[in-house]
Amino acid sequence: MNDELQKKVADAIRNPKNIGEMSDADSVGTVGNSECGEMLRMWVKYREQDDEKVIDRATFQSFGCETAIAVASLATELIRGKTADEAMEMKPEELSGELGPLPPMKIHCAELVQGALRAALSPEDHALGQAAASSDTKPGERVPTLQDSLNEGQAKSGGLNVRFLEE
Amino acid sequence: MQKVLEVFPGAQRALFRKYHIGGCSSCGFQPDETLSGVCERNGELPVAEVLEQIRQSHDEDARVLIEPSDLAKLRGKEADVRLVDIRSREEFEAVQIDGSSMLTQELMQEILGSWNNDQSFVIVDHLGGKCLDAAAYYIGHGMPNVRALRGGIDAWSLEIDSSIRRYTLN
Repeated sequence: MNDELQKKVADAIRNPKNIGEMSDADSVGTVGNSECGEMLRMWVKYREQDDEKVIDRATFQSFGCETAIAVASLATELIRGKTADEAMEMKPEELSGELGPLPPMKIHCAELVQGALRAALSPEDHALGQAAASSDTKPGERVPTLQDSLNEGQAKSGGLNVRFLEE
Repeated sequence: MQKVLEVFPGAQRALFRKYHIGGCSSCGFQPDETLSGVCERNGELPVAEVLEQIRQSHDEDARVLIEPSDLAKLRGKEADVRLVDIRSREEFEAVQIDGSSMLTQELMQEILGSWNNDQSFVIVDHLGGKCLDAAAYYIGHGMPNVRALRGGIDAWSLEIDSSIRRYTLN
């Protein structure tokens, strides 16, 4: 990564926008696998504008690298006010916005963001919770979050037995 | 790469964070690959630069770790240093360091959304094997004053507070 891109990524990371779950989201999309340390989830909320449904706001969580976080931060800003179709048409290089062209090895980061966005915007996933249906989450269970990635133990909550050593 | 990882346990984290290598199946590497081979198929990265990055990251890992005794002193000096415990609820409820907070989704959001980026806090796990990854995550989010407790709560129990019972999981 060249110095200029590194600086832009660092700037975006220093003050990432739209991080965190959205409790009242209309849809959610997830790509990647939390176990391998690369996962990105996006939440989208719509509003009506001129008889059209446009994106009111979007948030994300990521356990990916700095570039993925930076691209997701920028992308969630860029898609505001767009319809789902307009946002779906955005290419990875557009989503990376002011970061500019990404080197080949970093394109995957923007593709990760594009994948999460498409998962959140695709009609079949618009109902909150449906996106999780593609995972191994059972109905009624909490959708795994990135916190689970940080805390593998909590993902196993309920199945752990603590045995004190002196006993 | 197996040998690289043995010498530099944080190498995969360093490679992923800097070069997006080794984070998932699409960018992973095999244990029998050479570092030069990995560099070659990832845009012909300069091996010397990558190795230096791994070395730097290794040194940085050491700087992120905090000894239990140093944490005890730090807590005496800086009242606002926070302890974030990333263990499971079962473990946290069994034993915990006084004043620590279990990492919940709410706390996760609070840290990223409300805490000052300069906030000092220390990640606590069971044996010290996972706290560096968690600390690296927050460092990646622009929070430079996060540390990871060397040896986790087990080392804290052995070296600082024997009233905290040691345990295993099964």
